[in-house]
Amino acid sequence: MTALLEQPMESKAIIQLEKITKIYDAGENAVEALRGVDVAIEEGEFVAVIGPSGSGKSTLMHILGCLDTPTTGKYWLDGQDVAELSPRTLARIRNQKIGFVFQTFNLLPRATVLKNVELPLLYAGLPGDERRDRAHATLDRVGLGNRSKARPNELSGGQRQRVAIARALVNNPSLVLADEPTGNLDQKTGSEIIDIFERLAGEETIILVTHDPTIAARTERRIKIVDGLIVDGELQDA
Amino acid sequence: MILLESIIDGIRDIKDHLGRTLLQLVGIILGAGSIVATFSLSVAGKTASMEYYRLSGGIQKIFVWNRPTGKVTLDAKALASKGLTFRDAVALKRDVRQIDLVSPVSQQEMAVRYREIEKQRQIMGVVPGYSPMNDVHAARGRFITDSDIQSGARVVVFGSERAQEFFSTDNPIGKTVTINGTGYQVVGVMEEKYFSFDQKRNVMRWMNRQIYIPITTFFTRRGETLERGKVSYMNLRMIDVKSHEETVDAIRKVLHREHGVTDYEVLSRVANLKRNEQNNRMYDMTFMICGIISLLVGGIVVMNIQLASFNERVREVGTRKAVGASPAQIFGQFLAESVLVSIFGGFLGLFVGKVFTDAIAALTRDPAIITPDTIAKALIFAAGTGLIFGMYPALRASRLNPIEALRTE
Repeated sequence: MTALLEQPMESKAIIQLEKITKIYDAGENAVEALRGVDVAIEEGEFVAVIGPSGSGKSTLMHILGCLDTPTTGKYWLDGQDVAELSPRTLARIRNQKIGFVFQTFNLLPRATVLKNVELPLLYAGLPGDERRDRAHATLDRVGLGNRSKARPNELSGGQRQRVAIARALVNNPSLVLADEPTGNLDQKTGSEIIDIFERLAGEETIILVTHDPTIAARTERRIKIVDGLIVDGELQDA
Repeated sequence: MILLESIIDGIRDIKDHLGRTLLQLVGIILGAGSIVATFSLSVAGKTASMEYYRLSGGIQKIFVWNRPTGKVTLDAKALASKGLTFRDAVALKRDVRQIDLVSPVSQQEMAVRYREIEKQRQIMGVVPGYSPMNDVHAARGRFITDSDIQSGARVVVFGSERAQEFFSTDNPIGKTVTINGTGYQVVGVMEEKYFSFDQKRNVMRWMNRQIYIPITTFFTRRGETLERGKVSYMNLRMIDVKSHEETVDAIRKVLHREHGVTDYEVLSRVANLKRNEQNNRMYDMTFMICGIISLLVGGIVVMNIQLASFNERVREVGTRKAVGASPAQIFGQFLAESVLVSIFGGFLGLFVGKVFTDAIAALTRDPAIITPDTIAKALIFAAGTGLIFGMYPALRASRLNPIEALRTE
């Protein structure tokens, strides 16, 4: 038991969840969203989290993304226990170790593409020219180097999501979390976005939440969650 | 750095929603405007009063004048007192060490004639000290001198307007005029004194309308001895305005010793100035309160709009938090926006204040000066309003749960 509470040094796991529970205390009827999740994800893995709505996958996402803290259990992210940190420290962890890609892109509508990509670096306190250089380089990685001065409303849905991916990558995160990244895109464009994730896999650790089996099928590993528990966390055989 | 980004964001926000921003800022604009008007008028009023005092002998001037006691029963000494005399002037000069100049004045209307022009005009019997006391000097010829006083010379000095009245284009110097039937030689004409609070009325005109003769000559003509010569009023100049209360006390003590009764009044300009300042403070306060109420209302409007725009921007706040903005950074960003928008309102308020000030100045004919100090005060008040009323919306934004925020459609 004691061994479980210590950091698993021998493993290369970038994410280690131990007995994670999350109980939403809504008055008398408390809701158990997660009921003891154990999972380890290694550096460079491309993982899909699948499950029906209400299964607890959103809650898991929020905990993985340090937007929320578990009720009990341990969460090691890149060797750091992040289960019981203050909102301020969680903000710093999100800033330095996590990149988010949302279903609805969530770009700042009034800011240019470049400013949107710079945003995490701004909160990290980097100087202006370094922010610009890194944002330009990251935009090149997603093939949007030529649209840095555009506003989000001048871009197509696929392009917007690519900007969001650039924003998620710009701070060299330990983990990229994508929540239904193709949910608002047509099939062809969605497929192109998954192409990008496939290219990034290996270099980046990517966790993708989806309910689309064809997208899940393109990842290396699927974690299926039902009723607050992981029912299938095995590596997929090639 | 984040502050700078917030400012740039804020400016863009003002530009994008100019109409809404202007409406939002009406209270702050009016508040800052009232503050500008208050200070402009009050500063100008004070400056003008001080300038008037400076041009007419400075704040070290003290006035002494006759004021009968009104008592029914008087003792022998009191009955003997005939009011202020030349003797009092001598006693004050001798015994009050806090003063360096005494200028007694006796005045009376007399018939003044030059050739065919004859008019009843006020004649002042004065000493040479009158000139430095009131900071009025001879423009042509000379003023009354000590030797005029000693010899009781029949010489006369005209104020500029009186010289014009009697001599028109003639050179008055050396001419002879008749005052109550006696001939006097004109030895000087005074400079023209001018000061106006409203650029229209010369409040120093009375100085230009005087005719001066030696006080000794004045007494002789009235059949009084120098000792008993009646004085209409006296001006005294104190050496140090800081000890103005002591000085006035010392003067009162000497006069009481001489008169045995308080049939005179002593007032220093410093005391007068203090009393005026108190009155002005009331007036300033009233205006200030109006300005502050406007700012309060303006602040509440800013807060409301911030809260409303914050609801529109819940998603933006959520996104910013997701990419790592700390609560403090979100708080700072929102607060910076409120302050910035309020300072913008303050700037517009400066123009409104200028219009207010000009309108009031034109209506009351009071002077008005907008100083950099006033501008700074208005802007600081506006920024302060933004700071105070921006706190609550900024706090709410900073405490927003990012999960809730991202879920909002």
